[in-house]
Amino acid sequence: MKTSFQSPQQFFRQRRLRLSVVLIILIGIYVTSMALVNFQTWTSIAKIPAGLIWLFHNFIPTERSISYLGPILYQLWRTLLVSISSTIVASLFALIFAILGAKTTTPSPVFRIVIRFGASLLRNIPVVAWAMILLFSFKQSDFTGFLALFFMTLGYLTRAFTETIEDLDAEKLQALQAVGANYFQCVFCGVLPEAASTLTSWVLYMIENNLRDATLVGLLTGTGVGFLFDYYFKSFRYDAAGLIVLLIAILVILLELTSTQIRRAIA
Amino acid sequence: MIENSQPKPKTIQPVAPQTKHVSLVTRPRKILRGVLAGLAIITIYSLATLNNGNLVFADAFKSLGVNLNAMFLHPGVGQDTFGQLLRALVTSVSLAMLTTLLGAVIAFFIAVGAARNLAPSWLATTIKAVMAFIRAIPTILWVLIYSVVMGLGASAAVVGLTFHSVAYLVKAYSESIEETSQDTIEALKASGVGFWPIVFQAILPSIVPALLSWTFIRFEINFANAVAVGAAAGADDIGYFLFMAGSFYFNFHEVGLIVYLLLAVAIVLELVSMKLRGHYLKHN
Amino acid sequence: MLKVIQLDKTYGSNKHSLKNVNFTAQPGEVTAIIGPSGAGKTTILRSINQLIRDDSGQILLDGQDIRQANKAGLRKIRHHIGMIFQNYNLISPLTALENVLHGRLGAKSTVAGMLGLYSNEEKTEALELLDEVGLKEYAYQRCDQLSGGQQQRVGIARALMQHPKMILCDEPIASLDPKSTKIVMDILRRLAKDKQLIILINLHQVDIAMEYADHVVGINSGAIVFEGATKTVDDDVLQKIYRQTDDAKTVVSANEN
Repeated sequence: MKTSFQSPQQFFRQRRLRLSVVLIILIGIYVTSMALVNFQTWTSIAKIPAGLIWLFHNFIPTERSISYLGPILYQLWRTLLVSISSTIVASLFALIFAILGAKTTTPSPVFRIVIRFGASLLRNIPVVAWAMILLFSFKQSDFTGFLALFFMTLGYLTRAFTETIEDLDAEKLQALQAVGANYFQCVFCGVLPEAASTLTSWVLYMIENNLRDATLVGLLTGTGVGFLFDYYFKSFRYDAAGLIVLLIAILVILLELTSTQIRRAIA
Repeated sequence: MIENSQPKPKTIQPVAPQTKHVSLVTRPRKILRGVLAGLAIITIYSLATLNNGNLVFADAFKSLGVNLNAMFLHPGVGQDTFGQLLRALVTSVSLAMLTTLLGAVIAFFIAVGAARNLAPSWLATTIKAVMAFIRAIPTILWVLIYSVVMGLGASAAVVGLTFHSVAYLVKAYSESIEETSQDTIEALKASGVGFWPIVFQAILPSIVPALLSWTFIRFEINFANAVAVGAAAGADDIGYFLFMAGSFYFNFHEVGLIVYLLLAVAIVLELVSMKLRGHYLKHN
Repeated sequence: MLKVIQLDKTYGSNKHSLKNVNFTAQPGEVTAIIGPSGAGKTTILRSINQLIRDDSGQILLDGQDIRQANKAGLRKIRHHIGMIFQNYNLISPLTALENVLHGRLGAKSTVAGMLGLYSNEEKTEALELLDEVGLKEYAYQRCDQLSGGQQQRVGIARALMQHPKMILCDEPIASLDPKSTKIVMDILRRLAKDKQLIILINLHQVDIAMEYADHVVGINSGAIVFEGATKTVDDDVLQKIYRQTDDAKTVVSANEN
């Protein structure tokens, strides 16, 4: 960047010019996108209040919706189980991959490259695509949802775990090596205890995330609470659908609060 | 006030061991182990009771193998044309850009009200609670809810995605605002500067890097969401084609091609984000 | 002229409280407030521009009571009181020039302030002020690339941009090395003389106060224990200002509570 200008006026002119260019580009992107998806900003925004009013009228659970509570709670519970188990199973695999792939602990650079690439591939395939890929072979079962979340989570956690391990203080590892610890001793007595609370923190975050994604996967694969929502929604039983939305929100917030508490306790 | 507390009823208490027991396990460690053990038990229970719909796993994995082979080694356009798919991909990217930009602008103003160092605490708390509630409901449900009001299609998708983006970004932005030092704000207050000039002239320039980085993260999320919305709510984007190819026509060659297209976008996004981050690291 | 009359401020603990504070500061003079840490130096300074609301008393700047001003009035008064801080409190990603121009924001309408619209005259003046504190060639540098002493000089230029009657300096040299200290203090003394400003400085270094101040206010445990010309400060006066007895008393009374 140039650090001398002929006059402060010139400096501000250039600053304003740059700002204007950025603004014009952003507005350009906005207008183009609007045209491409065929969206009218103002008419749509104008509908939001009416939408919210409609929502409050129709989505508020009534006495009738209480009768749906049983199946809803059951499916919510199943969905929670699937999000937790897919995260935990994925985190086991991710931990092995991360140890093999992290710069400080990799036995060979070849592992590192292969694992990095694989994790990036898994992560960047959207969860929708996973659902579609798995649906045909595994049909409408909880297992489809489990696998879809598993693959996504595996990609994310492998990267997160690798970075966590690489961020560890390399000197501590060297200290262990210096007292004559072998590779496995280094990993299990040095790396893992040191990283444990950060790794757990990531696992908790992924559970929260997967609970949200599980709804979507359920919607697509016809399982869990997502399917139930779709079913009530399409049969115009909005109060029951509203009850589901409310319960999901409560569950997610509870989960968030719990993991914040846990994180604080293990930090 | 231990001395003044009421005498407790006598209970038999174990005598403390005389020799000091050297414990390597601290309290956080114990909690950590407890949490992990609990999660492990839930996982085992969940796997044991998973509804697998009488699947024969060997067959299922074999068929998955065949499909993966078809997808990744023999991608094809199926009954759509390549042009159609590209157009749909552009729609998805546009959807993500539109909702991110709209969400970012709205979120910034709400975030000012949600930042504890700027707004009165009752307002900040209220806004944060409402945003936490909106965030807790998955994006796709917002889109479906709005599609009843606005009809299935682009408008509902945009509004639903924006809704969730705003809730996400308000949290991120307000936390960034709260990180700006109270002292610099006070310095301008001391010279008689009003509220909005402080926000735009002092706080905004200090947090631009954080805002950009959060907004970009949200853009990546919105792209994934846009695909999901297409699949689940029928917006006319790449997600819809993916859904049709995967669960209507069972054309895995097309699913493979679409996954490749999505991967290409993801790689571009990753490169851009690396560039952006590098740019700002250099400047700070 | 600044006249502080019977200022009182009570906090939960005795620390930083003020008890019946009276003193005056004249234009054209450097007035130093000295005293042990925790005595209430910062509380006095921040009461003057009402960053801290005190309990009772009068603060007269040219005869006008700052404490009586309403919200809009207070903003107007604050605009004529510059302030510099121990940690400079500049917006670090912005250039020195932009930080100096922030001194004008208080005089602008909300919209002009939001957009940062400055007139050509203001921009030229900002550059001249940077020249005055010896930083002309750094005008377009980001502030986080400047040294502490340079940042403090930017802070002074920002205060001058307000066209102040008075500049409040809250431990302005506490984070600076001796060389930067001298530069900053020389500038402050020169400004008091040349522009007939009231310069009010909190200091914990007595030697600096002796060297640069015209007028000294000594404070101990929230009460003024000395006020007078610098040349009248002798060892007895310093003993009085820095005596520990009151602190010890504070500790005892805290234990009694």
